[in-house]
Amino acid sequence: MFYQPKDIQKALGLKAELKERGAFLAGGTDLVVLMNHGKAAPENFIDLTHIPELRAIHKHNGTLELAGNVTYAQMGKLPIRCLARASLSVGGPGIRELGTIAGNLATASPAGDGSTALLALDAEVELTSVRGTRRLPLEEFFLGYRKTALAPDEMITKIFIPTNYQTDWAKNGKRGAMNISIVAVAVAITPKKEVRIALASVAATPIRCYQAEKFLAKNGLTTETIRQAVQSVRGEIKPITDHRASADYKVHVSGVMVRRLLESLVKQ
Amino acid sequence: MKTKACHPERSEGSQSFGRRRKTAEILRSAQNDKSGKGRLWSLKFTLNGKKVSAQVPPTRTLLDFLRLDMRLTGTKGACLEGECGSCYVLVDGKPMNSCLMLAPQVQDRDVTTIEGLAHSKKLDVIQQKFIDCGAVQCGYCTPGLILAAKALLAENSHPTREEFLAGMEGNICRCTGYNKILRACEQAADAMGLKK
Amino acid sequence: MSRPTDDTLEESAARLHVTSKSSGAYETGPMKVVGKSALRLDAVGKATGATKYGQDLFDKKFLFAKVLRAAHPHAEILGIDTREAKRLSGVVAVLIHKDVPGTNLHGLIRRDQEVLCSKKVRYRGDALAIVVAKTEEIAVAALEKIHVDYKPLPSVLTMEDALKVDAPKIHAEGNVLGEKHLRRGDAPRAMREADVVVEDIIQTQTVDHAFLDLEAGRARYDGKMLTIEVSGQWLHEERRLIALALGLPLEKLRIIQPATGGAFGGREDISIQIYLGVAALKLKGKMICLRYSRSESTIVRHKRHPIRVHYKLGAKKDGTLVAAQVTFYVDKGAYASTGIAVMRKASSHATGPYKVPNVWVDVLGVFTNNNPCGAMRGFGAAQTAIAYEGLMDRLAVKLGMDQAELRRKNLVKSGDEVTTGQVVPYATATECFDAVLKRIDWKNRSYETPAPHLKRGYGISIVCFGLGYGDGFPDASRARCRLTPDGLLEVYSGACDVGQGLTNMIAQIAAEEVGVPLEKVRPILSDTALTPESGSTSATRQTYFTGSAVHIAASELKKQLQDIAASHLQELVYEIKIENGAAFNVHRPERRMTLKEIARVGKKRGFSLEAMGVYKPPTMPENTQTGQSMRAFVTYLFGSHACQLLVDTETGEVKIERYIACHDVGKAINPDQVIGQIQGGVAQGIGMALMEEVVMKDGKIMNPGFTDYILPTIRDVPEIECIVLENPDPGGPFGARGVGEPPLIGTGPAILSAIYDAIGTPIRELPATPERVWRALLDH
Repeated sequence: MFYQPKDIQKALGLKAELKERGAFLAGGTDLVVLMNHGKAAPENFIDLTHIPELRAIHKHNGTLELAGNVTYAQMGKLPIRCLARASLSVGGPGIRELGTIAGNLATASPAGDGSTALLALDAEVELTSVRGTRRLPLEEFFLGYRKTALAPDEMITKIFIPTNYQTDWAKNGKRGAMNISIVAVAVAITPKKEVRIALASVAATPIRCYQAEKFLAKNGLTTETIRQAVQSVRGEIKPITDHRASADYKVHVSGVMVRRLLESLVKQ
Repeated sequence: MKTKACHPERSEGSQSFGRRRKTAEILRSAQNDKSGKGRLWSLKFTLNGKKVSAQVPPTRTLLDFLRLDMRLTGTKGACLEGECGSCYVLVDGKPMNSCLMLAPQVQDRDVTTIEGLAHSKKLDVIQQKFIDCGAVQCGYCTPGLILAAKALLAENSHPTREEFLAGMEGNICRCTGYNKILRACEQAADAMGLKK
Repeated sequence: MSRPTDDTLEESAARLHVTSKSSGAYETGPMKVVGKSALRLDAVGKATGATKYGQDLFDKKFLFAKVLRAAHPHAEILGIDTREAKRLSGVVAVLIHKDVPGTNLHGLIRRDQEVLCSKKVRYRGDALAIVVAKTEEIAVAALEKIHVDYKPLPSVLTMEDALKVDAPKIHAEGNVLGEKHLRRGDAPRAMREADVVVEDIIQTQTVDHAFLDLEAGRARYDGKMLTIEVSGQWLHEERRLIALALGLPLEKLRIIQPATGGAFGGREDISIQIYLGVAALKLKGKMICLRYSRSESTIVRHKRHPIRVHYKLGAKKDGTLVAAQVTFYVDKGAYASTGIAVMRKASSHATGPYKVPNVWVDVLGVFTNNNPCGAMRGFGAAQTAIAYEGLMDRLAVKLGMDQAELRRKNLVKSGDEVTTGQVVPYATATECFDAVLKRIDWKNRSYETPAPHLKRGYGISIVCFGLGYGDGFPDASRARCRLTPDGLLEVYSGACDVGQGLTNMIAQIAAEEVGVPLEKVRPILSDTALTPESGSTSATRQTYFTGSAVHIAASELKKQLQDIAASHLQELVYEIKIENGAAFNVHRPERRMTLKEIARVGKKRGFSLEAMGVYKPPTMPENTQTGQSMRAFVTYLFGSHACQLLVDTETGEVKIERYIACHDVGKAINPDQVIGQIQGGVAQGIGMALMEEVVMKDGKIMNPGFTDYILPTIRDVPEIECIVLENPDPGGPFGARGVGEPPLIGTGPAILSAIYDAIGTPIRELPATPERVWRALLDH
């Protein structure tokens, strides 16, 4: 059965009824791929693409609120460097028009570009169901390989992002565009000069490197401290060898990318 | 693809009657199928400038729907995972991979396929430049690329080289090496600029 | 003009100045159609979406077929139970090997592959059953209801394992497809006496054609004729193979080519045609459709052979090459396909454009349970070029010599012998190479980079490529030209336009020769019921072969038209010229008649108004022991590439900054299309050099979709500066040679050469992914 609610309340009502038997459909960039390959055949679809409020972007007191269906194309135009660059590194223009930030979070791919950028931004997610609304730091949202804190009746309705972080983003792949990352890195410096380092494709979920972050928060950003932080990053990540690259290479290149991004942030 | 009709009333028999009625109401409120069986979606949208109504199995991709039901075969499928751009259509002017959309998603939307680009036998300037510049070889990527360029130039009539690359990076061409495609797009931009 | 068809190259060379002019005694002036970048005749249809490819012929009211594939890479089939599948509502038929009426065998060179396997599967793409149903969804569902009882056998996944004494035998005769040897001089002795010797092992990867237009088509048997509409590369050969497999007389089988979205060798082996044939024959009167998904296409289709090349190269102190000893280990995968021919192409191109007096080559083709490997653009010569150019670079370093100087010194020149011992009368390798060196300003190349972690490198390569099948194979092309009552010039050829632009090549040659504007030409191509056999669209042979056949046919027809005009106008025939669609006396242009009038008059007077052209230049088989042949190939093509790139030494990422490709095409029939072929070939070469790789694990392809089979995007292909040289070939139409494969062959070696130049250590395994470049740097 295919449902096309026109507002969030209707969508939540449907989800509450159908739970796991109702699949949210927005960009389709994961779900429909699986369907095309015969690997998914949801019983019910709840199409979220006809809910205008889910595409909204608002700014309140220095915090950006992205509704769940904000697309990569929309995020590519935001003045938040790591998120914009991450979004523009996703697929081609067609995918960027389709794919949504909530979809990226909910899929919880270890290679999620948007997710990784949001992790570095200390983003929070708003999860809503007919039971109510809760707000969760993104770090607590990812539970494991393609596992999230999303309850069967919940929807990601909003993402909150600070606008006063200084950030950057880099991605490593085999070609110039449309890469699933071998490794992707987002870094940020908070107004309190704390550092955030998030990586994709180096663990079961996008992850933060807390030890390296703490070390830098304590010791400041210099060539030497960055060098030591890079060593820490290489120890904190646990990539696997797959058909994209070996674990050794991912560990190595993660360090290079983190170092380059931090050095360029310092220079800015 | 499997299309299964769902009857929540039957499958959740333990619920109270009042609850069941509410369930049915909620579910029905977001369907558009008058039969209530949900097997087909009553789709209304604008296709290449014309209002179209059709009954479509809701799990049919927009690509298959356009090709099989609407018999517009100019939209091509080549990877079915959003990695080649052959299936691009414009939805409200934006390029989208029709292989990743289900047909009901274009409800009330405006869809343009390659067949909708030329007007009364006069080719769109982008089509003409693709032909003039030798950007067409096997031709399978051509409709998608032309629509990608169309969307790009509609938003930005003077793209930089970098903006062209960003606008065309989602389309794989296996034949031409892209040089002539890029030239065709740049020449189309110039020609459109001259017209203004 | 009467084109020599059976004389020697020398004789035909002597007629060069005749053939490159035209047939009419009084004709002068520049050519009007050939050499012009006329717009592609098929471009409007393609740019508007009107053109119909295989999948565009589908209709919901037709039946849909699906094919069941092997669940194991190597297993015996104990039984196939189709009962449950047949019971499924909407299923029309479930067919297995017993339902194939003929030999049930196919294969381009050796019939070693069963259409539907009866006893054994040898790779995961092997077919076991065909389901025909009312919809594709039902057919897919029915596949799951077919129960195959397998006895899994140990799989053989590497050549090492395949060659072990106790290895499981993939084919009854063992795991060796064949060997190929070339002996020229005494290479071991010359190697011992050489001043400098370099040696290395290079491993190329499995590459997929990745054409966009997936295998798709339809077929119907009306009781008299089985008509199959599916894209291929050699329809007449496909017809022979399908007829044998299905036990059908040739005249009851018709194959029609829909528009084709790329092939690159990937449509040479039989694919869906044969399943469609089986199903349609069984279900008389029904139109049956079949298409592959991307993953099925990738899992089933043959690939470019991964080849391990042991290469040893010896030279004198001054850089003069004296010896090459080369061994190729070729992973054939499960079936022969065109493997023997690929192996022979590797051996016959072992030293490429370099003059080496002593060459010993051994090629071993080994069966495994991986995907069968066969034709792909470059056909064994692409892998070989990566090896010989890699070794030339290493030799230059060892000699302390400039890599361009070393190459230039050893290039074959006109009158020299190439690897096969064949004398090349017109070798233009040096011209191509010099053009490229000049364009990139080789002497003043700069190694300055914007940052210390970036290293710049310059790479060069030279291609010497034998055109056509060669080796004594009866390689021929035929074409027919006909003047219609409307005064249009119809050109019939069985050649397949797979997207490269053959249609224009044929039309432009015919228009030029007869003297009509291009828009008056109607090319009618690739339909076995209408068109004569023109051989395969492969081996870079269609311009040379079919172009010549068209040229001959057009020339013959023109004579007839001149005769008709002369007798009707009562003028001397050798004063009759045809130009712009009208015949006239060169001295009295007012004495004229249009082609339409000629057609009318000619018909009345009993002229056929049509002519056939056959082009069949002979080659001679290579000696089985020595691989030597006086004429291994009809002609050779030359080209040269240069590449400038940056390597990020920390991440291993490579950025191509500049790319130059020069090819001598003899005569560019349509220069724009020639450049399109060069740029497209280079783009595929970039893919092969830097990113493309089919990853196999336990006989299973791990990356069967475009998400992980990485193809070059618009960001990965730089501007490709093309230099087109036109040194006419005496055997080609208007001097044309061909251009399909050489641009790809030159690219891999040029890029790898540039990476080596940048980082000082060679990449021994392809593709040169960021990780492999990084590892090479670690080894440094």
